Amino acid sequence: MEYPAQLWPDVSAAEVAATSLLDTLVLLPPRPSALRRPLLLAATTALAAGGSLGPTSGASCRLLPLLLGLAAGSDLGRGFVPASEQRPLQATACECLRELESCKPGLLGGSLGLLRGLLGQEGPVQPLSLLLALALRNTLVLQSRVGAGLGGLLTDKVPPTGGGPWDWTLVEEGDGRLQPQAPSWPAAEEGEGERSLTAREHSPEEARELRAAVIQLLDTSYLLTPVAQAQLLWLLGWALRGLQGQPPALFKPQLVRLLGTAQLTLLHAVLALKAAFGEALFTAQDEALLLRRLTLAAQHPALPPPTHLFYLHCLLSFPENWPLGPEGEEAAPLLLGPQLCRGLLPSLLHDPMALLARLHLLCLLCAEDEEEEKGQLPSPRHYLEELLAGLRQRAALDEGPRALATVCFQASYLVTRCLAGQPTVLTPLIHGLAQLYRVRPMLASHFVDFLDQVDSELREPLKVVLRQEVVSRPGRDEALCWHLKMLAKVADGDAQSATLNFLQAAAAHCTNWDLQQGLLRVCRALLRAGVRGGLVDLLQVLARQLEDPDGRDHARLYYILLAHLAGPKLGVALGPSLAPPALASSLVAENQGFVAALMVQEAPALVRLSVGSHGVKGPLPVLKLQPEALEPIYSLELRFRVEGQLYAPLEAVHVPCLCPGRPARPLLLPLQPRCPAPARLDVHALYTTSTGLTCHAHLPPLFVNFADLFLPFPKPPGGAGLGFFEELWDSCLPEGAESRVWCPLGPQGLEGLVSHHLEPFVVVAQPPTSYYVAIHLPPNSKLLLRLEAALADGVPVALRTDDWAVLPLAGDYLRGLAAAL
Amino acid sequence: MAQRAVWLISHEPGTPLCGTVRFSRRYPTVEKRARVFNGASYVPIPEDGPFLKALLFELRLLDDDKDFVESRDSCSRINKTSIYGLLIGGEELWPVVAFLKNDIIYACVPLVEQTLSPRPPLISVSGVSQGFEFLFGIQDFLYSGQKNDSELNTKLSQLPDLLLQACPFGTLLDANLKNSLDNTNFASVTQPQKQPAWKTGTYKGKPQVSISITEKVKSMQYDKQGIADTWQVVGTVTCKCDLEGIMPNVTISLNLPTNGSPLQDILVHPCVTSLDSAILTSSSIDAMDDSAFSGPYKFPLTPPLESFNLCYYTSQVPVPPILGFYQLKEEEVQLRITINLKLHESVKNNFEFCEAHIPFYNRGPITHLEYKTSFGQLEVFREKSLLIWIIGQKFPKSMEISLSGTVTFGAKSHEKQPFDPICIGETAYLKGHPGHYTATWTTECAMSSEKLHFRILDYTLTGCYADQHSVQVFASGKPKISAYRKLISSDYYIWNSKAPAPVTYGSLLL
Repeated sequence: MEYPAQLWPDVSAAEVAATSLLDTLVLLPPRPSALRRPLLLAATTALAAGGSLGPTSGASCRLLPLLLGLAAGSDLGRGFVPASEQRPLQATACECLRELESCKPGLLGGSLGLLRGLLGQEGPVQPLSLLLALALRNTLVLQSRVGAGLGGLLTDKVPPTGGGPWDWTLVEEGDGRLQPQAPSWPAAEEGEGERSLTAREHSPEEARELRAAVIQLLDTSYLLTPVAQAQLLWLLGWALRGLQGQPPALFKPQLVRLLGTAQLTLLHAVLALKAAFGEALFTAQDEALLLRRLTLAAQHPALPPPTHLFYLHCLLSFPENWPLGPEGEEAAPLLLGPQLCRGLLPSLLHDPMALLARLHLLCLLCAEDEEEEKGQLPSPRHYLEELLAGLRQRAALDEGPRALATVCFQASYLVTRCLAGQPTVLTPLIHGLAQLYRVRPMLASHFVDFLDQVDSELREPLKVVLRQEVVSRPGRDEALCWHLKMLAKVADGDAQSATLNFLQAAAAHCTNWDLQQGLLRVCRALLRAGVRGGLVDLLQVLARQLEDPDGRDHARLYYILLAHLAGPKLGVALGPSLAPPALASSLVAENQGFVAALMVQEAPALVRLSVGSHGVKGPLPVLKLQPEALEPIYSLELRFRVEGQLYAPLEAVHVPCLCPGRPARPLLLPLQPRCPAPARLDVHALYTTSTGLTCHAHLPPLFVNFADLFLPFPKPPGGAGLGFFEELWDSCLPEGAESRVWCPLGPQGLEGLVSHHLEPFVVVAQPPTSYYVAIHLPPNSKLLLRLEAALADGVPVALRTDDWAVLPLAGDYLRGLAAAL
Repeated sequence: MAQRAVWLISHEPGTPLCGTVRFSRRYPTVEKRARVFNGASYVPIPEDGPFLKALLFELRLLDDDKDFVESRDSCSRINKTSIYGLLIGGEELWPVVAFLKNDIIYACVPLVEQTLSPRPPLISVSGVSQGFEFLFGIQDFLYSGQKNDSELNTKLSQLPDLLLQACPFGTLLDANLKNSLDNTNFASVTQPQKQPAWKTGTYKGKPQVSISITEKVKSMQYDKQGIADTWQVVGTVTCKCDLEGIMPNVTISLNLPTNGSPLQDILVHPCVTSLDSAILTSSSIDAMDDSAFSGPYKFPLTPPLESFNLCYYTSQVPVPPILGFYQLKEEEVQLRITINLKLHESVKNNFEFCEAHIPFYNRGPITHLEYKTSFGQLEVFREKSLLIWIIGQKFPKSMEISLSGTVTFGAKSHEKQPFDPICIGETAYLKGHPGHYTATWTTECAMSSEKLHFRILDYTLTGCYADQHSVQVFASGKPKISAYRKLISSDYYIWNSKAPAPVTYGSLLL
């Protein structure tokens, strides 16, 4: 039964199992049998866990009436239940029904009246009470969700609907959603808004019946076992919360009795009531009394330690009537003064968990105590210091188990968390820890972990004293490996010479691979921190002297890196690897770090290029490029490749620095066409990011248009004029080609078109009707245009060229001019 | 309120797995609800094997304590309750209620009726306290009257049937499993109406009530400037009421003589039906004054069938029963010890036994001992580096006894000699209690110093007593009343006054 997924992989299998269990039950002879109870439990489990419980399931329709009949103690005929067994089975049936109601909330909504009646008569108190309380709670929640009242549900012994006592409609209203029987507090708070919207006031009669039912349940609650009493209180408390006409004072008569006990479940249930009703049930005096009982229970010698710890947790999460601090954070309740806490403070005699829990309380006291005047003896802060010193002393013991050290560091961490910003606490802590390291360097791992966890407020000063602690001693004892581990964590640019001296002295004692690696790790940390001077010498020495070839190689690598890379780049190269290491080996991780930092990375383009306006004069056509960076980039190199080798190879363009938002000078890219044709340029960018990585990116291609290749003819010595043009015109034939093209004109007319596109190339102009244009197309072609006798919508263009391949390009160009305006 | 699963695991250090799952039970209907309530944060209940491994690791009960393991030893992993999150297969199972007692780990996973991320505060999860009570119930059942392993095995084999009674669907019905044991023999009689759920039958026979008061006295004595000696009495009152009727009403009162010490911090059994507010509020937290309630302490109740702990209390008596003085000085290769013990004149000088244990931690075996004692005999346990001073039944007329001598130790061999994290150098104690430590929650750091161990019958330090007039029964027939008292020592430490000693905050309040 414990593995329903294996037993009944689907709903139908569960249904079959439940049916056969019920069949067996009916076949039992009419005398007492130990089988009836397990059969009922098993059938219930099969239906609930197998997921087949529902109005359409045959087994459900057999089991439910059977259970309710048994619970009601009614005669099921044919001596089905022997008299002696009736009462235990009645209880079992109630338990089964409770489980079914838990899995399908609202199921028993129609049986409330029946159950209540049974409870009033001779039925077994505990199972009926719990069942009624659960069904009542679920019904209240579901009814309020649909805005309905209880109606006569609590009084009708016979269910109102014809469908039997099973309220599948109510189950459906709950969307089959489970109802938390005892919702966690914050969750319940959130749900409250939703509920108050839909909550419907109960009619006075309903409210009276409800109150009567609750009182009935509470009055007999002392007959329940303590754990069941607690369940009842959780159920009823959260059911009645916020309901009109149901004063929480109903619970009051129970409270004194409950507060006196040592039962964990009962005190916990009282706390739940406290959270549910707050001031409505607990006045300030009651709250104080509850706190005192809780404080007492948290240290009572007669209770077991796990209970103490849970009560301590309850104290720090106490649901106060008027909480001051932020929600969800552990804090000492306002009414819990130093006097109350006295017995809850930690001592070295406590076990680790109790010590930490109590230490937390002590820290909270110290934090509050900050403003109070001195002279109060003994001051909690002084006590805290003594305690931490004691913990360190224990951690320093040579043969002590690791747990002692762990507790010491956990306590120190807790103190730094709670008392951050209090130098009076932190300063002695730092010195104490340094002393601990001096005595027991093998705790280096704990120190490294501690440094990783604490804030920089403590980390930086602690690093300094720990470094001093390491380097101030000759590095040749058996603790050398710990010292190196520690130093790799705390070494930085400060106190370089002392650190290097220590390493130099230590190098002679690093005889095995472990130690050498430890030594190199420190070197690496120093490299990262930007230490150069003495480190070069040390690395050189190591590269020669270390016994292990791997160690020598590493030393040499570091030396080469140090010699060849600039500071920031070195920092990145030695920094944590960007790529997750494929192997857990430190060497692999380290190499990956180098690979990432020293090789060119493929990256998305951080730079954009656009082709700027034309208009540069010179012997070659020049492309004007406007770069734009998305992030600061350095040492940008742009490489271009002409597709189809139409032009001579292009030179790379270099830009030292580009920053977003800062306008950059345009870049000039001279083109050397091999034939006068437009082309596509493939562009690659190589740059360094601000983090020091070198990146390579592929940029979108650039297009060189036909017009980008236009150059004016150099002016002849006699000045350009009609004669010059005619000479060119005539020279084109007979090798060249001639054509006439219709060039459409826009609204601005011929004058506008020429001035906009062809201005630099005009040789003879007779505005507004006639222009002679001569264009030099490198390497050595010409294109001559006669634009004459313009009409309103276009101009006929006579064109000649000495390179007939230019002709279609020129035609397309001219036809596209009007559109381009 | 329900539990998803429960386990009993025996802790077996030195074996490959360091433990065995002795019993486990999963509750499928609760698990189904957990899947719905927890939603995306649902973590299924693991198989026994992975659970065992993860739990032992978290409780630091695996033998591999050698290396620093971040997931266990990191300073930021602070656990302040017996409720854990277990990493199993990359997911964290939470909350797992677990504790170790008598080499058995008791564990269960309560249902949390909401999503687990973010985690709800523990205080708001009703299943946590139910889980604890469940585990305590199992523990009580396993260890009540149990003497050896075979008895434990028998009881473990009874558990499946018992849980079918006490917790059929994962929601605990009764933490007292013995009730369920009686319940299984259901063929007995048709039970009458309104039977309390915690009372499974009725008593037939001669009415009798027995009340026994056991006081334990704890003490920390330093004999130092600026540090106050502390002592405290913890009382337990156990009753057995054999009375006819379904719900006999009984009132039991505890009395104090005129010079008795008031009872404080009283915790009562849930069968007590009402409680005087003076009893509820008398607490050791407050400063003592003359107006403290000094009884009689009346407890109206409906007794269960079995023997039960009516109440627990503490008390602050004016003087410790035995005042000790312990000096230990390191002199070159040997230790010089001087001990004085003085019995207070108000204490009954008639012990069942009385002895002082003088352990020496963090040292080698005792090689040489010279001593002089004014009373009693000294036993030497060389290998254990322990001296036991057997004082016997009575202190001499002077009420004062002394022991002095020198002890020499051999070389410290590893592991064999007792280690103690507190008794370093000259820090040492003398104690009046046998050297076994109950309650080894997690890695207990055994204490050391002189410890006194004694027991006095028919006597309480507070003076608290019950007599023929202490029991009122509102039923037919006058019951026979029997009352017992005893005082025993517990954690009675006398610290070396020449060296630092661990103090509690209370010792600093002079």
